[in-house]
Amino acid sequence: MKKQITDFIKKQSIWFILLLSLIFFGTMQANFLTLRNFQNIFLQISINGLMAIGMTYLMINGEIDLSVGMIYALCAAVVIGFQPLGIIPSVLAALATGMVIGAINGIFVAKAEINSFIVTLGAMIGVRGLLFVYTGERAILGTDLRFTYLASTRIGGVFPLPALIFLVFLAIGEYFLRNTSHGRNAYAIGGNQDAAEKAGIAVKKHLIINFVLSGAMAATAGIIAASRMNTATPTLGRMNHLWVIIAVVLGGTDLKGGYGNLVRTLGGIFVIGILDNGLNLMGVHTFYNMLFMGSILILVIFIGKKFEPLKS
Amino acid sequence: MKKLFILLTLSLILIATSGMVMAEDIVIGMTANNTGVDSYQTLHDQAFREKADEMGVEYTILDARGEPMRQVDQIMDLMTQDVDVMVVWPVSGQAIVPVLRQVQQAGIPVLIANSKVDESGFELVSGFAGPDNITQGEYAAQMMAEALDGEGRVVEIMGTPGYITAEERSQGFHDEIEANYPGIEIIETQPADWNRERAQEVMENYLTKYDDGEIDGVYVGDDNMGVGAINAIRSEGRGDNLKMTSATMFADGYDEMQSGDILYGTLYQSPIDDANYTVEIAVKLARGEEVEFFNYFETPKVTDENIAEFERPVW
Repeated sequence: MKKQITDFIKKQSIWFILLLSLIFFGTMQANFLTLRNFQNIFLQISINGLMAIGMTYLMINGEIDLSVGMIYALCAAVVIGFQPLGIIPSVLAALATGMVIGAINGIFVAKAEINSFIVTLGAMIGVRGLLFVYTGERAILGTDLRFTYLASTRIGGVFPLPALIFLVFLAIGEYFLRNTSHGRNAYAIGGNQDAAEKAGIAVKKHLIINFVLSGAMAATAGIIAASRMNTATPTLGRMNHLWVIIAVVLGGTDLKGGYGNLVRTLGGIFVIGILDNGLNLMGVHTFYNMLFMGSILILVIFIGKKFEPLKS
Repeated sequence: MKKLFILLTLSLILIATSGMVMAEDIVIGMTANNTGVDSYQTLHDQAFREKADEMGVEYTILDARGEPMRQVDQIMDLMTQDVDVMVVWPVSGQAIVPVLRQVQQAGIPVLIANSKVDESGFELVSGFAGPDNITQGEYAAQMMAEALDGEGRVVEIMGTPGYITAEERSQGFHDEIEANYPGIEIIETQPADWNRERAQEVMENYLTKYDDGEIDGVYVGDDNMGVGAINAIRSEGRGDNLKMTSATMFADGYDEMQSGDILYGTLYQSPIDDANYTVEIAVKLARGEEVEFFNYFETPKVTDENIAEFERPVW
């Protein structure tokens, strides 16, 4: 019985960290635990959150995608740039852009068998160049104000639509991980790729699908960001891949693959979002802010390591 | 126990470093562009805090670190804080327009600092405080006319095209020359993207293209590019027949003006004056006082004659 309780704590450590952050900022800042602020937090986490869905899949595979931040930025530019063709075509163009770049990443990783760290690092740099070429180093303004409703709509007057999109995708993603062969194969490939291949799993196809998924999620995030800013800017997305990876790792997904799930990734995304929001509310000086984010994250991962989730 | 201790210590340091100053009940919420990326922005941040302390107002100063989406998030966080006035130094003058609409609906006045917001956002904000780059271009044109006695051919090296600061400094120079100095002709304009090495290359090309006597003056968008261009001029030995004016002084330009003869005039744009003026206007807005839409601080001309009156810039 006692073992079961400690196992439970070990597996769910991200939720205790989340609870601690909530208590800390709740007592520090009167405005923290308010409906308005939580509407902000939900809106703010949905962008990195969407990217974390694809990243979790890839990290369970034992792969990584460093290019998500730049795919996100490029797709945000595409959805604004294509706006004169209409909102639906522009959204489709952005999604297609993200999926094509994801497919290229996947093909290089799966077929050419180049390490995904290197492939997506190259893609990150290359796509950034593409972004500069596309925006001409200056911001493009959106012309159709209806597009901004995507980000500003609140379901039932309360819940931000982008957050709902994120949570729905997250739920679908978790369902697929748990209940389909694609999901089970993800763990098998991450656990031992050779064994998975010998067991007859189409590893290459599986990896390409997950890179396309990652590209599509980054594109969705970009579409939401563009809707919030109604602008395509060349300075978007330079740090997002780092926050996304940290959030997924915080959620306990193993960088080496074979272990992890999306519900705990959600916890990681929340912790990052709440730290950022809480430190903003407290008005901590920007230099200390970065120092604290860094220290707190290492501390949290250290604690998480102590209570390393059981791999069963 | 140890973990608890680390957590407690972290919390205590956090409390100590968070910008909570108790005084008059005015709270300024600021989101800066990218503090720490250059000395101008770093000094602006320091001066902003000092001035706010001096005036006895509270402040929450955030930094977007050059990321437009982060700035949008920060503007929303500041709205939650019910600040009395919001100061925004835009990372992107366009990307903040939709969120500014929400700030306006919340009834919080917004002061745009240093770099302008897109014109579609003018109706959503209460004003702008910062340097007047058009006037700086005009001043540089006037000094150029002095340096050349109203006669001569001038080449221009400008900042990054597409950035409003670069374009306004160029525009002010051109307008003033065309309006008042018919003897001066601007024969070519090239961008060097605020970069010293690029400016040196651009100047080398100018010197190859135009022989001695074919150009008399060089106008640069700031001293940083000016110093690059001067390097090129010196290595070609063309320094005796060329005069330069610049739209903004940096420390290197200050030294150059004192030691050499090429840099005739530049303009003293101080981040400290910039920040002080911004805080003053922001406090007026928070108190509900009327302010002008464009609030420009003074950027005086500096030449050999009056350079002694100015301290060497620390930026």
